Amino acid sequence: MQTKILTEFVTDPQQHRIETAVSRGAYQAWEKVVREIAPDDLIELVKKSGIRGRGGAGFPAGVKWGFVPRQSPKPKYLCCNADESEPGTCKDRVLLENDPHRVIEGMAICSFAIESHQAFVYIRGEFVLAARRMQAAIDEAYQRGYLGKNIFGSGYDLDMVVHRGGGAYICGEETALLNSLEGDRGVTRIRPPFPAVEGLYGCPTVVNNVETLSALPSIVNRGADWWAQLGTEKSTGTKLFSLSGHVKRPGNYEVEMGYSLKNLIYEKGGGILDDKKLKVVIPGGSSTPMLTPDKIDTPLDFESVVTAGSMLGSGAVIVIHEETCIVWVTELLAHFYAHESCGKCTPCREGTQWMYEILRRIEHGRGTMEDIDTLLDLADNIEGNTICPLGDAAAVPVISSIKQFRDEYIYHIEHKKCLVKSDFRLR
Amino acid sequence: MILSPQAREKIVAAAKQYPQVKSAILPALHVANEEHGYVSDQMYREIADLLDLKCVDVAAAASFYTYFPKAPRGRYYIQVCRNISCALLGARHLSTYLQEKLGLKELGETTPDNLFTVVEVECLGSCTTAPMMQINDDYYENLTKEKVDQIIADLKSRAPGR
Amino acid sequence: MADFEITIDGQQVPVTKGQTVLEAAQAVGIEIPHFCWHRHLVPVGACRICLVEIEKFPKLQPACATVAGEGMVVHTDSPQVIKARQGVLEFLLANHPLDCPTCDQGGECELQDVAFKYGLDYSRHQEPKHRFLVGPESTFDDLRIGPEIIRSQNRCIHCYRCVRLVNEAFMEDDLGAYQRGCHTEIKPPPGGEIRNLYSGNLVQNCPVGALTSSDWRYQVRVWLTKQAQVICPHCPDGCNLKLWTYHNRILRATAAGNDFVNDGFICDVGRYGYQFATSPDRIKQPMIRKAGELVEATWTEALEYIKSQTNTLKSKLSGSGFFGLVGESSTNEEIYAFGRLLRRVIGTNNIDHRLGRKRKLSLGRQVVERGIGSDTIEYADIEKADVILVIGSDLHAENPITALRVKKAIRQHGARLILANPRPTPLGIRAAQVEVIYKPATEVMFLLGLIAALISEAGKKPEAIDLEASPIEEFRSKHESSGQAAAICGVAAATLEKIAATLSNAENIVILTGREVEQHPYRDSIYLAIGNLQSLCRSACFAPMPTDSNSRGASLFGAEPDLLPGGVSVDDKAGYEDTWKGPISEMVGKDTIGILDAIAEDEIECGFIFNTDPIRVFPDGNQVKSILEGLKLLVVIDSFMNDTARIADVILPLSSSLETEGTVVNWEGRLQYSQAAIAPLFESKPGCEIIELLADHLGVKFNQPTPTDVYREMIQFLNGEMPAQTQAIGREGVLIKSTEKKAVPDLADIKYTPYSEDNQYPFVLLVGNADHHRGTLSEKNDSLMKFTSEPFVGINAAEADKLIVANGDLVRVESRYGKVVGKVTILKGFADGQVLVPDNFIELCPNLLMGRQEKVDLVKLTKM
Ligand SMILES: Cc1cc2nc3c(=O)[nH]c(=O)nc-3n(C[C@H](O)[C@H](O)[C@H](O)COP(=O)(O)O)c2cc1C
Ligand code: SF4
Ligand code: FES
Repeated sequence: MQTKILTEFVTDPQQHRIETAVSRGAYQAWEKVVREIAPDDLIELVKKSGIRGRGGAGFPAGVKWGFVPRQSPKPKYLCCNADESEPGTCKDRVLLENDPHRVIEGMAICSFAIESHQAFVYIRGEFVLAARRMQAAIDEAYQRGYLGKNIFGSGYDLDMVVHRGGGAYICGEETALLNSLEGDRGVTRIRPPFPAVEGLYGCPTVVNNVETLSALPSIVNRGADWWAQLGTEKSTGTKLFSLSGHVKRPGNYEVEMGYSLKNLIYEKGGGILDDKKLKVVIPGGSSTPMLTPDKIDTPLDFESVVTAGSMLGSGAVIVIHEETCIVWVTELLAHFYAHESCGKCTPCREGTQWMYEILRRIEHGRGTMEDIDTLLDLADNIEGNTICPLGDAAAVPVISSIKQFRDEYIYHIEHKKCLVKSDFRLR
Repeated sequence: MILSPQAREKIVAAAKQYPQVKSAILPALHVANEEHGYVSDQMYREIADLLDLKCVDVAAAASFYTYFPKAPRGRYYIQVCRNISCALLGARHLSTYLQEKLGLKELGETTPDNLFTVVEVECLGSCTTAPMMQINDDYYENLTKEKVDQIIADLKSRAPGR
Repeated sequence: MADFEITIDGQQVPVTKGQTVLEAAQAVGIEIPHFCWHRHLVPVGACRICLVEIEKFPKLQPACATVAGEGMVVHTDSPQVIKARQGVLEFLLANHPLDCPTCDQGGECELQDVAFKYGLDYSRHQEPKHRFLVGPESTFDDLRIGPEIIRSQNRCIHCYRCVRLVNEAFMEDDLGAYQRGCHTEIKPPPGGEIRNLYSGNLVQNCPVGALTSSDWRYQVRVWLTKQAQVICPHCPDGCNLKLWTYHNRILRATAAGNDFVNDGFICDVGRYGYQFATSPDRIKQPMIRKAGELVEATWTEALEYIKSQTNTLKSKLSGSGFFGLVGESSTNEEIYAFGRLLRRVIGTNNIDHRLGRKRKLSLGRQVVERGIGSDTIEYADIEKADVILVIGSDLHAENPITALRVKKAIRQHGARLILANPRPTPLGIRAAQVEVIYKPATEVMFLLGLIAALISEAGKKPEAIDLEASPIEEFRSKHESSGQAAAICGVAAATLEKIAATLSNAENIVILTGREVEQHPYRDSIYLAIGNLQSLCRSACFAPMPTDSNSRGASLFGAEPDLLPGGVSVDDKAGYEDTWKGPISEMVGKDTIGILDAIAEDEIECGFIFNTDPIRVFPDGNQVKSILEGLKLLVVIDSFMNDTARIADVILPLSSSLETEGTVVNWEGRLQYSQAAIAPLFESKPGCEIIELLADHLGVKFNQPTPTDVYREMIQFLNGEMPAQTQAIGREGVLIKSTEKKAVPDLADIKYTPYSEDNQYPFVLLVGNADHHRGTLSEKNDSLMKFTSEPFVGINAAEADKLIVANGDLVRVESRYGKVVGKVTILKGFADGQVLVPDNFIELCPNLLMGRQEKVDLVKLTKM
């Protein structure tokens, strides 16, 4: 079952134009919100829908909005997190490029709920097309009066700014995103204070993922109950999964929460590439623990994936077949985290690099048996001890690969080479 | 003055969008990068002067990000995604293929005609269309050898003076 | 005062609201290691060494950044904490060079200390260490990033204290963190250096040997040194320095922690300004002029010579034919003893110290009666102020540490700084909410304009001003003319209104004035205007910043012609005659100006000049010189060969302030004790000993050759309790409160007299400090000379164009009194018709251009 809600129109090359989008109902929810719904009721509505953040942590969106101190005399801000850089994840780009008006409408609805008059969309620097499309769409929305001053004659003003990142995964982390948006280096901040209380420029700020916000127009149009009955009890609605790696039909698939991993890979994805055997699945982006084939029936919702020993994360399902060396995979990911650590806190700055170096050594046949336990211990010394979850994210693939494939590590060290050589040709 | 009057205008206009001018550092770096293909110390200084910011803030922020080369690169800046989804589908071979094809000894080098620079980068957020690369602003996806040949040939023929 | 308690390691610990777990633990002596935390900086929780376990928290928390909450139960040494801490330490050491044997920080390295306590003695890190190289061929990573600072990036533990200090505490812009991840490095901006006035503090606060200073590195292991606590002799801020010595050599100065005064920081002038002790200008032994030449002599010869000459002169002249001048960087004991020598032994009250004030040495009766400027203000008051109004002061250069307190007030609770000067100053660029540039010598008009604006503000918002206490009508009548003030002082009326609005909303105003006011011929009018302004504000206190490090001590301890120690009039001399066991003159003495006039009139023929150089500092230096040359006997007691010493008949070598103990009084009126860091160099002797020798040779023995002896006698003339021993003066020092402020008799009438312009001399002369200099002592330090520009003559670009000169071209600056030559420096934001000349360089003494009678110094510039 594929329920296309957010992605209903993304394949239409005209959808990014406002005429097309409006002809398909864009900004109706926005008008309804501005004309009919009070901010508090809007927050209630979103709480009732049960929608949880799609950026990785799965925090209920309505609850987060509720933390914004409404009495505060300071301005409030919304930042739409479009920094999408977690390896395996490419669902937000689809929305930004192909249905920008949905993203804008979602941002507008959230801004109204938290009584913000300025919203930013932080788009990763490399997404040039996405930034252009979003800017053009915002300009169109201004022209039609959906943004700007006195929207729908209600007296409510809203400005929207496209802010392009500069190539730094960490800027997807919400506090780093705020620093980056303020013009500082994109290093993280300690919490508390949480952004909802003290965020951008020290003012209350909500940070939400593109997909989270994009769901809002549909929720407003069709009701919280409608959304809540999609998916599972605690993971409501639909979710975009970026299916990549060794599958026959990689792609972004929108399915209801709770859809089975097996069906995603074998039905949507057409099965494993070259009909090889599945070795492992990373279900939620590179920072989530790997799942072995025995977990293939796991339903894709926040709770079930946790029960299976991993996390739903950003919904990036990376499929890896039997001819892949796990040490090689882990080294690749470790390199990524070392490269992307902001460098502010010690365990992450030093630990990610160190782990990468050990893995590189093992992969190149220069590992020792002690290295395995050192890696586990280093990962343990990082996990939970850093300012932001990037440290945890870096520790996870190391821990999970060693726990599940220790034999392969041992083979590697003893034979100074891979058990299976990952040599993937360009086709 | 390296930055053109148009670029300066864009930067000043960008700054007006934000409650605090400092936020315009990234937009300004993008403007400079679009105009020159790199951002130098001198440009940091010009941006700082233009926006009445501290030069150290501009330079330190710029150095944090990977998107702004400090020195000129080839006309076509090819970034090959090296991360997991692409690597599973041959990204390693993609970059060596490009390297050989363009006669580059190492990644990061520029061809003698100053047309191409090839580097490997982390995940570019196009994992479902792996392997892929970015050339300047554009994404090239689901790459095969033939596609790469075609793309390079097109770019060469598009280059001015040819 | 505790608001509640938390439990740390089973101990009940009191907590005040807002305190962090780390601070609460520290207060009761529970040690939690920390690197990135710094008491002056916002916690960033970056290094993670301070992680602690807090019950009910899912993860370990950084103690430095976790605000203590009621009922928290904290464990600082649970197995989980120890593991995390060792983990962090292992990470920090992984790429650390471990070059402790050759690292200058050894013995005072915070990383070493923590490793010593928690570390493992082996490392699991097998990988090649990550190296930052500073050049393609470098094997070392030493990189000079400032005139005195060397960076070894490999040792850096990324605590970011340095960058945060520069940003937050100093509000400067010459250091940043670059790159990211493990490649993060600390660097000045492209093409720049760390040159801010507080740069040495970065070295001192770097926990490891990543930042070292070139004066100290590779000289000696720190544990072999001795340390002395000294009060900085360079400015009246009174910073506490720790001088580190080895075999009677001073190797470095650091800030000694004194929260009452310098709050853990010092400026670079203090930090590197110890090198004067061994300057080539030092006078090494006594000298006597023989056949027109100064020749070396023994102490005995010199003293005997003075004795015989003085006796001859004394038989001819009465005491009134003698005078004494004393420098304001001398200790209280020296000043007191010197005054006693003149009054009791020589028999004259012709004594003065106020050379730095230039023209109007004494305050007028109107000001004194009203007690204007005698409010007691402490550093802590600045920190608490919500508005700080600074008039006529380049506070950054004149009082660098006071300027830091102002910045602290700004960053901690958003205090607003209003700066009013005839030229832009560094503090204005960095921290001022409003920076006002008034036309030279129009301070009074600026103030009158402000008062007028305040009055109309009061009309708008009557609650803003206590109308009962300040009869607005009377104010109006006194300030009628202030309507045109804006036009005269060149400050926009709107700006005056903006400042007035800020002032009228303020609860706590601190007003400070600096050198521009202190040396102003119209100082009285300015003070009176400030007095009137004060009575319009809810709560405003005012302190004029004195010119030199111990100016306040000099007036307190009797170096003025009309006042005896303790500020008692010479009429009330009885008590002093008792103590000094002999008569003193009842005639009010002459001040510096009177003395010079009297020498010119041959009424005075013999003088003693102690630790000051009137030819270099007093207006019309050329004339001062020719007058002093007319003396029959000039005895100079000084540490350095200077213009005045060069014309002396006898020179006695004085130990420098670092070689003698004693007390001094800073601008707050805080009396502090300064140790001797090293034994007297060369054949010099400490001031008190020299004065005792002189007194003895001139006929009176006090038997007080040491500062301790003098101190014991001296303090009886001060009001209030004083510790009987110098050793008993604590860190806090003793705040000498001024006499109770008298009730304002009435509002003062204020006169503003414009100066008359002169076509021949079209420029107004402004005097300031060159970078990293203050006064004339700083010139004698090699380190400071590395920071500074050459002696310069500053004008704006328009004036430079008119003169057809560019940066670096030579110009002659000339007045009716003299001329100097210097290189042009073009200054930004500087007004037309003004020229700035620093007074820190012997090559370019602006006092040569000044006239003693002038209201404003006018000069002309000629291209050379
Ligand atoms: C290292 C790191 C990278 C992240 N990158 C992204 C990202 O690219 N996009 C995103 O939406 N959230 C990202 N997040 C999660 C955000 O911090 C934040 O939780 C999210 O934007 C909140 O939005 P949501 O509640 O709608 O999911 C990242 C988190 C971490 C720790
Ligand atoms: S140089 Fe020193 S003070 Fe600066 S970040 Fe490194 S260790 Fe900290
Ligand atoms: S001292 Fe607490 S994290 Fe550094």
